[in-house]
Amino acid sequence: MLSRALVTRLRAVVGADGVIDRVESLLVYECDGYTLERAAPEAVVLPRTPAEVSSVLRLLAAEGVAFVPRGAGTGLSGGTLPVGAPVMVCTSRMQAIEAIDVANRRIVVQAGVVNLWVTNAVRAHGLCYAPDPSSQPACTIGGNVAENSGGPHTLKYGVTTNHVLGVELALPSGELVQLGGAVEDRPGYDLVGLVVGAEGTFGIVTRATLRLVRAPEAYRTLLAVFESVDAASEAVSGIIGAGIVPAALEMMDRLIIQAVEAAYRIGLPTDAGAVLLVELDGPVVGLDPQAERIAAVCRASGVREIRVARDDTERAALWKCRKRAFGAVGRLAPNYCTQDGVVPRTRVPDIVRRIAAAAERHRIRIANVFHAGDGNIHPILLFDERDRDEVERVLAAGREILEACVALGGSLTGEHGIGVEKMAQMPLLFGPDDLRAMKALRAVFDPEGRANPHKIFPDAKVCVETRSPRRQAAM
Amino acid sequence: MSRWSEIVGATHVATGGAGDAVDGLVPACVVRPASAAEVQACVRAAAAEGLALVASGLGAHLDVGAPPSRRFVLLGLDRLARVVDHQAGDMTVTAEAGCPLGLLSDVLAAAGQWLPIDPPRPRSTTVGGLIAANLSGPLRASQGRVRDLLLGIRTVGADGAVVSSGGRVVKNVAGYDLPKLHVGALGTVGVILEATFKVRPRPAREEAVVIACRSVEAAGETALAVAAGQLVPLWLEVAGPGGLPEGPRDGAAVVVGLGGIAEEVEEARARTMDLARARGSGAVAVADGAGLRTRLADFAALPAAAVLRAGVLPAEVAALIRDVTARASASGVPLRCLAHAASGVVRVAVPQAEAVAPLVAALRPGLEARGGSLIVERAAPAVKTGVDVWGDVGPAMGLMRGVKAAFDPAGLFAPGRFVGGL
Repeated sequence: MLSRALVTRLRAVVGADGVIDRVESLLVYECDGYTLERAAPEAVVLPRTPAEVSSVLRLLAAEGVAFVPRGAGTGLSGGTLPVGAPVMVCTSRMQAIEAIDVANRRIVVQAGVVNLWVTNAVRAHGLCYAPDPSSQPACTIGGNVAENSGGPHTLKYGVTTNHVLGVELALPSGELVQLGGAVEDRPGYDLVGLVVGAEGTFGIVTRATLRLVRAPEAYRTLLAVFESVDAASEAVSGIIGAGIVPAALEMMDRLIIQAVEAAYRIGLPTDAGAVLLVELDGPVVGLDPQAERIAAVCRASGVREIRVARDDTERAALWKCRKRAFGAVGRLAPNYCTQDGVVPRTRVPDIVRRIAAAAERHRIRIANVFHAGDGNIHPILLFDERDRDEVERVLAAGREILEACVALGGSLTGEHGIGVEKMAQMPLLFGPDDLRAMKALRAVFDPEGRANPHKIFPDAKVCVETRSPRRQAAM
Repeated sequence: MSRWSEIVGATHVATGGAGDAVDGLVPACVVRPASAAEVQACVRAAAAEGLALVASGLGAHLDVGAPPSRRFVLLGLDRLARVVDHQAGDMTVTAEAGCPLGLLSDVLAAAGQWLPIDPPRPRSTTVGGLIAANLSGPLRASQGRVRDLLLGIRTVGADGAVVSSGGRVVKNVAGYDLPKLHVGALGTVGVILEATFKVRPRPAREEAVVIACRSVEAAGETALAVAAGQLVPLWLEVAGPGGLPEGPRDGAAVVVGLGGIAEEVEEARARTMDLARARGSGAVAVADGAGLRTRLADFAALPAAAVLRAGVLPAEVAALIRDVTARASASGVPLRCLAHAASGVVRVAVPQAEAVAPLVAALRPGLEARGGSLIVERAAPAVKTGVDVWGDVGPAMGLMRGVKAAFDPAGLFAPGRFVGGL
């Protein structure tokens, strides 16, 4: 139990409304987008500034109290589950955009700034922030940095780590340290690159200096309709093989097409085996020739139909069905959970077959929507939480799919993180020496193991209430 | 010597000679392992004998960094030279540390692909050297640096264990991003065995436009105007007086690299020429853009007493070149500057050894105070003894010491070569 004295001191730092410790108010914080496991913190602290984060962590350090950082709670791997950490430090009140440098294409934001706000703040200058996770209207930059988030457009533009030039990190001791910054090529170890994707286990990122990119002059967005996932996968290989790197290359299978069409009614062919959403961007002159080459590749793979968005409205409609695909899944089943495995992109047909086999073997339904260009799959496992046996079968199928990803030369996670969800499977990818090196690095930043404990590593002792899965809140 | 012979065979051990010197220091011996197991045995043997290890590929970039601080064995990795796996359809390639970029690029070119990093001395640069010295060239403007393209790495740690991190797929957040720890670390946290990179389709065409400008200021403004436009240059360099290998000895220039399909390059060339004309500058189109780019990349390894490398914001590039040029006029020392304008990297070639330390002392404090940096990227051994190669890395130094202590507690790997004497 936290001492009353500590809670009082925390309130003195962040204000009376900055500490939540009433049991009923803490329920909101008992899970993030990964709902299979739940645990409520004893207190949630909401600092307003980086200096307050530092003060809060100094108080926690003095008493040896562990903490969990949290942004908007849209994570999908349970990275903010407070396990063995009584205090949650939530950055959501740190919303200042501190500096915009148009000439150098840099922006400095506090950790609680929402991803989409960054692009909104610079759009008038013809700039944008490239990483665009589907949760971008809600997720925070601090969370993006912790998870090294991706999104559909990472195929061309890269993930979060490619766009973070500097961070201010509050170490578990409370010390604030600036790593990297607006200027490239600082001498020394790439500590920024190590902090990005560390899932909050090195401390709390309080500020980030981000790289902005030129908003493209124009887009060509195509929807290609195929009879089967195999045919669509063949087209993906053909596009890559033709030397074209689209801005995005996304696939949806029949089950998800049907759900999306039922939800949004934009005229998708519900009898199609798969659709590819392909986007090109850049100078207008190159787009039509490349779009024509992509169309030719699709025709060679037996495409049934190609639709081209004629204007921004049609483009927005196509993206809406991709980015909100998860929302549409609610029409298919009361509950679902999502995997985030990666395979080499030429192995997409193999993993799709293995997913189908797992679904059949475990008598569950699985819908597929994924970043085909990257080989990053998002199988959506459908179930009804009232059916305990089905829940067990879903968990077993999920494990098998991740094992299949690794067996095909891939990874457990492309953009969601290990969190608590996939800790047990880390030994599939990494041996004891590999994990020991990672732990040695962690100890440099967090020698006492108080920053987001019991995450990532397979031997982390987890003791939380495992509940029946619920519908995920965000994606 | 017999200990090393047992590990790698007598023919692959030699007493160190002048040709093997690192910053003028001759190694105790040169050992050339041919497998991961042999590298592991070498690491353990060095630890047992109290010797340090400095890893080397083909030796083309050993002039980067500070001199080793104690007696060392040169660990030659040139026998680990294979392209292990190229998956053209996945656009990934795995190669051993000693694999020369020339071999790698030949393999990739057969599939119309490239690893878009263009260091100086590319044919004698190895994969391990590319990573350890964090080499880059003009292409970084649009293609990123090693950190953006490196997917996975295998290394040998100070205890002799093989450590793998990252993977072979293009998107992967499982575990910490340890591959980045080795980028630019100059071999101070482990011996690189093998690395996997993301590769890209090579542009169908690559051309360039050279814009001659009346002044450095005009060149800086022109470069910013190019970057602000929609044509998305493949690379973008700004040269001060004498900075271009084949350019005018006075005045400044902007060189714009253009890549893509034919339609894109033609349009970009026309737009660039229009932009130059509108600014009253002359412009010349160069059909062999890749050839010109290779010559520009070699500026970083010019035969000079020293090549300095400054990091500034892109908008500050011209002001720095003007400052350096003014100092050159005042002192009579002909300093030449060439910059990766979009990345804010300015190189200064200093012809006279005695001019290096005063120039560093004059420029470094102002650059560091503004969040930038100035390093002596390459220099003759005599120059390095009189100057701090790296400068002050600031408040992050404490964590960097912690990293070094965690990965190399006994100072086995390239001691003294890196920032803060690490």
